[in-house]
Amino acid sequence: MVEEQQEEIKTKNNGEEYLRVENLVTRFFTSKGIVKALDGVTLAVKKGEIFGLVGESGCGKSVTATSIMDLIPDPPGRIISGSIYIDNYNILNDLPKLARINVKSETDVRVKRNKRLIKRHNFVISKIRGRKIAMIFQEPSLALNPVISIGKQISENILLHNRVEIANSIIRRESLTQEDVRNFYNEIRDTKGDFRPLVNKWTRQYAVPVAEDEIVNILKSGADSALTLKELTEVIMGKKRGNELTHITTMRDYYKREEELFELTLKLVEAESKNEVNNAAVLEQQIEYLSYSLKKDFSSFIWKRRLLGKRFEVVFEEEARRRGIELLTLVNIAEPGRVYDAYPHELSGGMQQRAMIAMAIASNPMMLIADEPTTALDVTTQAQILDLIRDLNKVTGTSVLFITHDLAVIAEMCERLGVMYAGNLVEEGPASELFNNPLHPYTTGLLSSIPRADVKSRNEIKLESIPGSVPNLISPPTGCRFHPRCKFKMDICAEKKPALVEVQKNHKVACFLYSKEVVN
Amino acid sequence: MELRYFIIRRLLLLIPTLLGLVLLVFFLLRMFPDTYLVARFVNPKSPVPISVQYANAKAALGLNYPIFIQYFFYLKALFTGQWGTMSTSIYTGSVLKGIELYFPATIQLALFATILSIVIAIPLGTYIGARPNSVADQTGRVFSLAFYAMPVFLLGLLLQLLFGQNVIAGNPLGVLPIAGKFSFNAVGAIPPPWFDPSTGLTGPTHLPLFDALIHGDWKLAYSSFIYLILPVVTLTLSLLAAILRFIRAGMVDASNQEYVKTARSKGVPESLVIKRHVRKNALIPTVTVLGLLFAGLLGGVVVVETVFNYYGMGILALNAVINVAIYGVLGTTFVFGVTLMAANLIVDIAYAFIDPRIRY
Repeated sequence: MVEEQQEEIKTKNNGEEYLRVENLVTRFFTSKGIVKALDGVTLAVKKGEIFGLVGESGCGKSVTATSIMDLIPDPPGRIISGSIYIDNYNILNDLPKLARINVKSETDVRVKRNKRLIKRHNFVISKIRGRKIAMIFQEPSLALNPVISIGKQISENILLHNRVEIANSIIRRESLTQEDVRNFYNEIRDTKGDFRPLVNKWTRQYAVPVAEDEIVNILKSGADSALTLKELTEVIMGKKRGNELTHITTMRDYYKREEELFELTLKLVEAESKNEVNNAAVLEQQIEYLSYSLKKDFSSFIWKRRLLGKRFEVVFEEEARRRGIELLTLVNIAEPGRVYDAYPHELSGGMQQRAMIAMAIASNPMMLIADEPTTALDVTTQAQILDLIRDLNKVTGTSVLFITHDLAVIAEMCERLGVMYAGNLVEEGPASELFNNPLHPYTTGLLSSIPRADVKSRNEIKLESIPGSVPNLISPPTGCRFHPRCKFKMDICAEKKPALVEVQKNHKVACFLYSKEVVN
Repeated sequence: MELRYFIIRRLLLLIPTLLGLVLLVFFLLRMFPDTYLVARFVNPKSPVPISVQYANAKAALGLNYPIFIQYFFYLKALFTGQWGTMSTSIYTGSVLKGIELYFPATIQLALFATILSIVIAIPLGTYIGARPNSVADQTGRVFSLAFYAMPVFLLGLLLQLLFGQNVIAGNPLGVLPIAGKFSFNAVGAIPPPWFDPSTGLTGPTHLPLFDALIHGDWKLAYSSFIYLILPVVTLTLSLLAAILRFIRAGMVDASNQEYVKTARSKGVPESLVIKRHVRKNALIPTVTVLGLLFAGLLGGVVVVETVFNYYGMGILALNAVINVAIYGVLGTTFVFGVTLMAANLIVDIAYAFIDPRIRY
């Protein structure tokens, strides 16, 4: 069934790109000089695919991931130029306006930040992170906050991005009638086979707190339909909380308007980047009016929220908990209810990484960046986590950008593959193609440096290694950054930088051995 | 629950610690030669021969017994509430009564300073720590380092110079009284029954501000409040400086942790990242040092009481030492010890609440 779904997702998406990074340049301004960490990285991840990114340590894989999330710590780092399209929206639209960088010398760089625009940029990006793109990290024990329970950390994500939807389901629940329950029961009776997915869907739609097992048990044991219906009605009606609907409606309207504000800001940034002055002016006015009316219409709401703090949102927490436990079940955690209330230090590394994944996917992002998610785990746990990521990718169609230095993992996981060297993508193509027919001298070197059991007996083969090491990126080599270590070095390599060109079908490489095209 | 057992265990641990404290102070005091200890009880003008007076005083103080027997006698007295008597220039009478009269003033200064420092330090430290190396941060660092490094008495004297009434002629800032607990002008010609003119103390709490409020004497309450400002500000500034440094360091350290990146990657807005993820972790090391800081604060209170003539247990203890009133020294030390341990217990419990990783 999973494979069918996978095929379906594949054909539906049909190679559409979800993430596209173009000419990304990221630098770090340190006291020793400017680290040219990324030097024009271009890559794309299609919907529903697992894209692998490999390279030696220090070649810029993690910086690429961090840049895509716009999490480069500033100071010392900054994205200098480029574009990152997530779901066809360029998150770097307003990049040139955020800061003016004045390079006096390698060690003396002045950055003048525009605080107002940075604030707006952060507002927009915080609504994109989590709901469109999420990330899991190498060291789960460090990536989870030690003083906040797993459940709180998961529900934080849910409550940040799904308030309107949750409020709607609570309103639906509170206005449930016996008629609704009867319809639900009839629907279940009509379904053949497993009715669990339907129960899940229904409890989610009506935010019925932690009752799935209860409902399923009633449905299974029920022989007499009238009695079952009565029992079902009793249980479901008992889950009503008697919340004041006006209160929840106010909350929903408030958060809805906040979302509108976000949409408008998104449009404004886009209009500004396209220099549509009139459009931008109109949007700016709309935003100003909306934020003013938000403050005015909901002033008592805002004050109440400020005074009551967390207690104000208790209504949402029950549903957040239900969804959190559902997520923990999804990532194969046994006893999800117990783990939900546990603290990170009470879990093993593998469990922590599962919880981390549950947290990342809590708001259904269609893109997951996995930055060496298994490096810190032992081998058996590694395999389980890899399976989990692959299953998620198959079931939900989430694209994955998988970063690792472990070629064996890449071979197992990825459909397409990018090879990075010293801040550049040097080769890109389908994984099988790259493994069987590597073009770039660096890729060739990388592949021949792994021991292979199937090729020759151990005595005959001598493991090759690439001479030298990754260059210091404060003063990287001119031209192709790989040329000092390259066996096929030509004169042009030290002078010009090769462009990433498609030299075979779906197979791109940046090397003068195959194409003379130059990056300008 | 586990926490309950933790508290019980800590309370039981108090007993040997206190016994040790009393033991230490007791034997240190006995290092004095006997003649020195009884000198105050000998009157050369009395018709009774000095040697007889000396022998009587020695017997009265129980100095004829072997020293460890004396220790157990004192322990028995301590637990039956007979803490002995003391005779000093500011107070003469039962030690227990003296502590009852003067301890509230001390604890009042310490508590006001602690609460004020914490209430100011947490938001200020959060603000500063979230903006390392900004102008606000640099200013805060300069001031907190200055106040942290400055001895309390110097700070007190400087504040007296700057804000003290009639200290510098024509100083427009000089509006605050620099010595005492309240102005006697505020008491009125006929003192109320809850005011004892001989000791200058009020009842029933012996804290003029609270007593005046209890009895609805607004004039005296205002006066007591004005007199409290400088000593409390002095203590607060020195404690605040220390706490601020720890919170700032904790904030900067926590901001660079991986989990903050995780929080941002979830889409948590910046203000919540600071409040929810960074500050919670930054407070853990701060709470740890709070117990140590409180010990320093108690020392500071003694100094501040002296600088501002704010009569409290610090001055009482000081006078007991000067006048070699051994039971006075023992009693006040014991109470200081209990206070410090209680503070440390509270800190440990708070620590267990903040950090779920703590096993108790």
